[in-house]
Amino acid sequence: MLESLELTVNGDRHALDAPVGRSLAEVLRDDLGLTGTKIACYEGHCGACTVLLDGVPALSCITLVHAVGGRGVTTIEGLREHPLVDAFVREDALQCGFCTPGQIVSASALLAANPRPTREEIGHAMAGNLCRCGAYRNIEAAIASVGGGR
Amino acid sequence: MARLIKTEKEVEGHYTETWVVVEEDVLEQWPAGPRAVVGQPAPRIDGHERARGEARYTADLALPGMLHTAVLRSPYARARVRRIDASRALTAPGVRAVLLPEGADLPPQHAPEAIASEPGAIGAALAERARVAPLTSEPGYEGHAVAAVAAETQAQAQAALRLLAVDWEPLEPLLDADDAVRRKSLVSEPRVNERGDLERGLAEADVVVEAVYRTQNVLHNSLETHQAICHWHGDGELDVYISTQFVWGVRDAVAERFGLERDKVRVVCEYMGGGFGSKNGPGEYTLIAAELARRTGRPVRCALDRRDESRAAGNRNATIQRLVAGARADGTLTALGGEFVNAVGWDGLSASTAGPMQLLYACDNVRTVEYGARLNTPPNAAFRAPGFVEGTFGLECLIDELAAKLDLDPLEVRRRNYATTDPVNERDYSAKGLERCYQLAERHWARRDDVRARSDGAWKRGVGLASQIWFGAGGPPSYAWLRLNAEGHATVITAMQDIGTGTRTAVAQIAAEELGFPLARVSVALGDSARGPFASISAGSSTTPSMGPAVRAAAADVKRQLLEIAAQRYAVDISTLTVEDGRIVAGGSRSWPVEEITGLLGDGQLLGKGARGPNPTGMRVLTFGVQVAEVAVDVGTGEVVVERVAAIHDVGRIVNPLGARSQVEGGIVQAIGYALSEARLLDPASGTVLTKTLDAYKLPTIADVPEIVTEFVDEPDPHLTNLGSKGLGEPPIIPTAAAIANAIRDATGADVRSLPVTREEMLRALREARERERDRLGAPAA
Amino acid sequence: MELLRPRTIAEATAALRDGAVALAGGTEVVPLLRDGPLLAARLVPLAGVVPRGVDGRRATPEAEQSHEVGAAAATAAPRPVLRVGAGTTLAELEVDPEIPAALREACRLAASPQLRSMGTLGGNLLQATRCWYWRLHSGCWLQGGDRCHAREGEHREHAFFGNGRCASAHPSDPAAALLALGATLRTDRRELPLSELYRLPRDDDRSTTTLAADELLLELEVPSPDASVYLKAMDRKRFAFALVGVAAARSGGEVRIALAGAAPIPWLLAAPDALDEATPLPGTSYKVEVARTLVDRALEAVAP
Ligand SMILES: Cc1cc2nc3c(=O)[nH]c(=O)nc-3n(C[C@H](O)[C@H](O)[C@H](O)COP(=O)(O)OP(=O)(O)OC[C@H]3O[C@@H](n4cnc5c(N)ncnc54)[C@H](O)[C@@H]3O)c2cc1C
Ligand code: SF4
Ligand code: FES
Ligand code: FES
Repeated sequence: MLESLELTVNGDRHALDAPVGRSLAEVLRDDLGLTGTKIACYEGHCGACTVLLDGVPALSCITLVHAVGGRGVTTIEGLREHPLVDAFVREDALQCGFCTPGQIVSASALLAANPRPTREEIGHAMAGNLCRCGAYRNIEAAIASVGGGR
Repeated sequence: MARLIKTEKEVEGHYTETWVVVEEDVLEQWPAGPRAVVGQPAPRIDGHERARGEARYTADLALPGMLHTAVLRSPYARARVRRIDASRALTAPGVRAVLLPEGADLPPQHAPEAIASEPGAIGAALAERARVAPLTSEPGYEGHAVAAVAAETQAQAQAALRLLAVDWEPLEPLLDADDAVRRKSLVSEPRVNERGDLERGLAEADVVVEAVYRTQNVLHNSLETHQAICHWHGDGELDVYISTQFVWGVRDAVAERFGLERDKVRVVCEYMGGGFGSKNGPGEYTLIAAELARRTGRPVRCALDRRDESRAAGNRNATIQRLVAGARADGTLTALGGEFVNAVGWDGLSASTAGPMQLLYACDNVRTVEYGARLNTPPNAAFRAPGFVEGTFGLECLIDELAAKLDLDPLEVRRRNYATTDPVNERDYSAKGLERCYQLAERHWARRDDVRARSDGAWKRGVGLASQIWFGAGGPPSYAWLRLNAEGHATVITAMQDIGTGTRTAVAQIAAEELGFPLARVSVALGDSARGPFASISAGSSTTPSMGPAVRAAAADVKRQLLEIAAQRYAVDISTLTVEDGRIVAGGSRSWPVEEITGLLGDGQLLGKGARGPNPTGMRVLTFGVQVAEVAVDVGTGEVVVERVAAIHDVGRIVNPLGARSQVEGGIVQAIGYALSEARLLDPASGTVLTKTLDAYKLPTIADVPEIVTEFVDEPDPHLTNLGSKGLGEPPIIPTAAAIANAIRDATGADVRSLPVTREEMLRALREARERERDRLGAPAA
Repeated sequence: MELLRPRTIAEATAALRDGAVALAGGTEVVPLLRDGPLLAARLVPLAGVVPRGVDGRRATPEAEQSHEVGAAAATAAPRPVLRVGAGTTLAELEVDPEIPAALREACRLAASPQLRSMGTLGGNLLQATRCWYWRLHSGCWLQGGDRCHAREGEHREHAFFGNGRCASAHPSDPAAALLALGATLRTDRRELPLSELYRLPRDDDRSTTTLAADELLLELEVPSPDASVYLKAMDRKRFAFALVGVAAARSGGEVRIALAGAAPIPWLLAAPDALDEATPLPGTSYKVEVARTLVDRALEAVAP
């Protein structure tokens, strides 16, 4: 059943029609063209699709778009100027780059809540973002460098 | 000048000697050590595109009018399809074509006319037997592609798939590798390699150790799944957008399947989300998409989902390794022997699991036999140093068990058996820095006592090491063009791909170095077979050693032209001119910005071309290394934590120390998953894959990653190309698992011999060690 | 599919009665719907209906404490009790200093940060088994078939207690912690000790909970122990289900121990040596060994 909804993404309001059951990830990627949000498992197991809902990290692949409600969505496209982007590049915290947008979205939420995370805290807060290339040490360094943790 | 020569080409351990046309490699190598750009750490030049989510991967592309595909895959490990009735699928909403296998009985209503006359049917929908796409009516593994549907949306394609009525006849699968060897179900002839006399060597030994090692199946699980979009246009031309490690290989394979001239197929891959060896060819998904696109006249996407990825996209095969080693009391090896069973699966290459045993040590008596078992399990695919990862685990654990029995230092035993020429064919090494690696490892190895002393209650700590040997020379052909414009900006053009290893950045550095430009003045256009010359596969640690020399030659070609013009413009002797940091320098005194010369070009450009020269003939070009792992083992719960890995590798000149370190860390992270947590599990009765999802298949997380220290010998290989660089993609994943297992023995006295070292394997090994100790103490005095 | 908008508990339960499915954080519901094991034409979002957040409150009367299963002699003084809304997310619980350590740690070590910030406590307690045969819908005994595939098949992640029929291992870490803490549960129609929410599946009723199809979890009452702890063995350091999870809570002289990853339901261990009565499968005997160590360590951690 198509049901219309309003969605605020990176501060922009969108009016859309979507079938109930459609995921936020599909709407972002296919309807709004925001392909920075990646899909790697489509069932909540990897973190590639991480976005923020009112600042809280969520998996857009298992979030029903109609359940987003009034919460503001932030995607990687809304974080392009975040200092984490430069830090990830500087520290070589990406290889193939497919997990990277999700990593940066999660890291931005971590830093917002905890501006100077320790190594342990980074490990805890980033454990939901798998990186098959294994860029983890540099991801940690990038987050720590923005957080002033070292 | 182009020459016709004979050269050796090596990919993942396989040498072939062929005639090739090469251009001479006339450039002198740069001296060792960091230079202005090469050898300096450089962040990826495409890092921002990737990090900001602007980079377009195959998964992000959508062509106008594109259809989506769902593939029916066998739910049985072995079966026969008696009959497929596609009539309901054909009339389902959005369906545009159905592809069926040869062999199965198709009911008569499949004729397109009949379909078209049914109410609600879409006239364009066609069900045809696949002529080109590799669909089967006799699936040999769970996930084998049987039929495919193209529809307007992915959901419609999937819904239609469920409407295919298939009459399956399940058959008994063959799942046990030893059983397959007994029954001679093999993918290739057994491989026997022998030098000296194993029996004699064992007889000469003071000490003999025998052990059986087992390694598990692991999945590549690249985050971007295997996928392609195919689009026919014009006069039978086919565009293929694909997540691939080898643009040219895909072009050739697709052209051959469809009987096309090779350049009628254009293959594009600008960004790709990981492959690790599994994306070297077109895969059935590309052929399915191409055929459906041909039939419907529309662009067609065919993408694997995560679950299909886990059963139909390849894997590192499991192995059983029955090994023996004999040595004299001083640690000199007298014999090495092994029977290796590779559980290859339905199809694939039986990789050289015996390779490390053959190549690593000077030992006169070596005999290895390798079997590639053909099973009703998903086909393997190359996975980062296939064979050597598995074989190094067995060999390097065996050497440590031997050292323990001889009561010798494991590093000492390795040095005692150091090979100074290739033990198989007695060729000289083009360069071998393994002893240098051992020297650099000493300070990490020396931490042993401190680490052990930090054992604390149930947590026992220890240190282990293992050596690495692998290929990585790359080879011709590989070409690059370079274009310099009026603004003094250079573009390297070559149809290679950057699969995340950072080759785009490395070749930009090489071009910048040769041109005397800052890195920011070089960009790289890659990933399009219609818009650049042939380039190497990104596999077998071959991209940098193949592409780098070609790019350097292209840059040298342009630099020569630039200096010729400058010599005329400034009326100076060309031999006094160089380019440094974007300025043309005359004899060290006068200098001008490069733009002064390039500005004269207007719309003109300076064009250069370069080709990869030949490999040295009659020499072994190999990579070497050693890793030292520190672990902590909780003997109460069997938990193993890797606390530190020091990796020292010799891969010739390091072009980008930053990117190189990332490669090493990535390899080690994957190896830690291999050693401790990853396993593709099958249901033992049906042979179906149980770990199809990323909650069940346990990749390492950031919390599982230890401190990693990376060091390089960083000496150019004097015999290899104008660059002296070898590949680094694979070496770092090779020795880690053995180093971890050896550290576990150091910490606990327990011999872990099966990967992954889960709680159950760790607790089993501890129990065995306790029993052994009890027997030893309880044994009556002699 | 249709998304309803209930405003009251009564509206929500009425919809459930009509066959709709409750949607809390959706981390279980959404993938299961997409994948098949769960079928629903209508979803009932619980946000705004089911309580969310933590409230402190004094004292449950003795009478209410006494129906705790496994409770020995009722302790003397009334203890402070926290009321936790079933709609509270695991992320909220993992950082709440009011929450007893065992529950906080169980939440902290569950799933991933994203899943914890989406997933609710109620949904967590009601999550389905992670048995791979069940997840890949093999039509096994628990799904109404006649055979447990795991018992003869690959079962390293499975049960070592209560596994005579179905050998699945209950995946919830918070459930084990709450069981050890002696939590009680309030639904839209009854109050019950958490232990009575779960039951081993039987041939005639293969459900693992006693919840009616139209019943809603609303709130948990969590007593504050003198000491509590949660220890979890998993295949990697984070983001993995428990191979074995051990929760222990001490209130006065009484210690309660509960296990995750041990049985088809969260498992209360009558006494530490009850591990001797475990019924492991060939592939789960290692879990008993792990459990022994963790139980010893947990007892040590909560000892006065
Ligand atoms: C990859 C992954 C890893 C995980 N790892 C762990 C782990 O290590 N440890 C662990 O404990 N958990 C783990 N989980 C489970 C996770 O914590 C739960 O999925 C989550 O807490 C469920 O909450 P939810 O709000 O999303 O539930 P939903 O998905 O919304 O609902 C789950 C079920 O509960 C029902 N339901 C929800 N709320 C109510 C209510 N108030 N009344 C009645 N019925 C209700 C729903 O109808 C549904 O049947 C993991 C999950 C995933 C996907
Ligand atoms: S353990 Fe339970 S859920 Fe798993 S196969 Fe057996 S019956 Fe089914
Ligand atoms: S794509 Fe959403 S968690 Fe993997
Ligand atoms: S950079 Fe490739 S998956 Fe993380």
